[in-house]
Amino acid sequence: MLYRFVFLMAALACLLAAAPQRADAHPHVWVTMKEELLYAPDGSVTGVRNAWTFDDMFSAFATEGIAQKTKGEFTREELAPLAKVNVESLKEYAYFTYARIDGKRHRDAFTDPVDYYLEYDPKQTVLTLHFTLPFKTPVKAKNLQVEIYDPEFFIDFGFAKKEAVRLVGAPAQCTVSSEKPGDSNFPASMRLDQAFQTSEANIGMGADFANRITVTCP
Amino acid sequence: MNRRIITAELARNVALALIAAAPVLAAATVTDAFAQVGPFGLHPPEATGVAGWILARQALFYRALSGLIRAAKTDGSAYWGLMGISFIYGIFHAVGPGHGKAVISSYLVANEETWRRGIALSFASALLQAITAIVIVAIAAAVIGATAKMMGDTVRVIEIVSYGLIVLLGARLFWVKGRGFLRTLHTIKSENRADAPKPRDHAHHVHDAHCRHHEHEDADHAHGHDRTLVHTHSHDHDHDEDESVLPWGHAHGPEPEELAGPGGWHRGLSAIVAVGVRPCSGAIIVLVFALAQGLFLAGIASTFVMGIGTAITVAAVATLAVAAKTVAKRVAASRPGYGTLALRGLEVGAAVLVMAFGGLLLTGYMASERMGMF
Repeated sequence: MLYRFVFLMAALACLLAAAPQRADAHPHVWVTMKEELLYAPDGSVTGVRNAWTFDDMFSAFATEGIAQKTKGEFTREELAPLAKVNVESLKEYAYFTYARIDGKRHRDAFTDPVDYYLEYDPKQTVLTLHFTLPFKTPVKAKNLQVEIYDPEFFIDFGFAKKEAVRLVGAPAQCTVSSEKPGDSNFPASMRLDQAFQTSEANIGMGADFANRITVTCP
Repeated sequence: MNRRIITAELARNVALALIAAAPVLAAATVTDAFAQVGPFGLHPPEATGVAGWILARQALFYRALSGLIRAAKTDGSAYWGLMGISFIYGIFHAVGPGHGKAVISSYLVANEETWRRGIALSFASALLQAITAIVIVAIAAAVIGATAKMMGDTVRVIEIVSYGLIVLLGARLFWVKGRGFLRTLHTIKSENRADAPKPRDHAHHVHDAHCRHHEHEDADHAHGHDRTLVHTHSHDHDHDEDESVLPWGHAHGPEPEELAGPGGWHRGLSAIVAVGVRPCSGAIIVLVFALAQGLFLAGIASTFVMGIGTAITVAAVATLAVAAKTVAKRVAASRPGYGTLALRGLEVGAAVLVMAFGGLLLTGYMASERMGMF
């Protein structure tokens, strides 16, 4: 009797315990990223230029109630107020962008974003947020890592399939690689209507949500 | 019984209750810790095994919804797929944080509730969640043309109200259950002073074995009950057990007053509202998307079907909570006095948990959902 009691309570507790863990959090927003690292003529990295494309459901949600001249289309100007709200809200989440310079973590490496705007693709009905995060001080490092992820996993970040990461004006000897560690099977820019058909291929997702860009300059 | 044995009994029962409650408390603490982790300080949690599998599934189902809603515009048969995926998504989705599993389960442990009421509570709160989402989108998007930010702000306000209600619900439970605990403690103390004679113990065992068939026929027996409150308590619990609260038990069905009559509903209403008033942000996004596609009705149907799926998951956890409580009651009944005390202690603990959940949610240490990033 005693053992049954303990066992049942433990089982219950485990179920409850499983509930609030972040690993089980469920994203309602998917972002497909294209990233550019911007270099100064002296070879230092001045900032990260982001282009984040949201999934179509979230794009529909985000554009709800925004006045448009042509139905089904939004101009940059019409989206400007929303873009401002976006980058301002992102500050609270440190832009989901974290830098590691020569192996050293920097919690607060970036200043407020510049050159931000939203773009609407009427064919795909998706929004893309463009913004540039300047480094507080230009980074001259042999090894720079930039990670983009939502620690709480309410937003699922993934690299675009093609040309996900680019170095702009980098010294010729620098090499770049991008990875989603432990998650090579998961197509970062899964098309929504393909999600269902390709489901079997995607089972391996979610081992680790961090998307890492690594630049090495010898 | 001599005092030393009594003390040992008490210690054991308290320990038992603590062991049972510890993982739940630990979970709350772990969640707390996660919330405070600095961005780069820790890598995101890994989701492997069952959790990862469920996570992957529910993400796929959610993303399939948009394709199905689009398809439903031109192909009527896509509605079936939409409803099917909505249902399964609801089940998987509710495994994640939120949806009131923790609060409802703790509430059920703190209260004398049947599994039927547990399931009814789960379904009612899930239904309310669906209705709130639909009402918000219908008014905000369809009628006044509100923006996503306005909808997000509305949800935020509702969220705070919901979490505040959860704290109040826990506080009320704590007040009621705390007094019950103190009463039991007091009774045991006064009995200790009276130092119970052995013959009555014997009478009690006889009672245990035969009371079902000879309830209160024996005059001496009834007298024994009148003399100590504790015995009355243990008798009560035996009786509860007869009217089994477990679906698989030797059930004669719950007592009439335990069924969801007008009074019964009133009792659970606070829990339903506290948990159910906060809509699922996923449902809101799906609804707005359906609206943008000109298929708002399909979105509403999908939201309700999702709610049914959610209710099934929550009800499963709730039933487990009730089952655990029933077993705890049985154990308590086998140890008159201190068993009851431990049971009351467990109820107080569950009440504290409800308060703690509400507090953590309210202060943002425990996030259930975030409305995008806007």
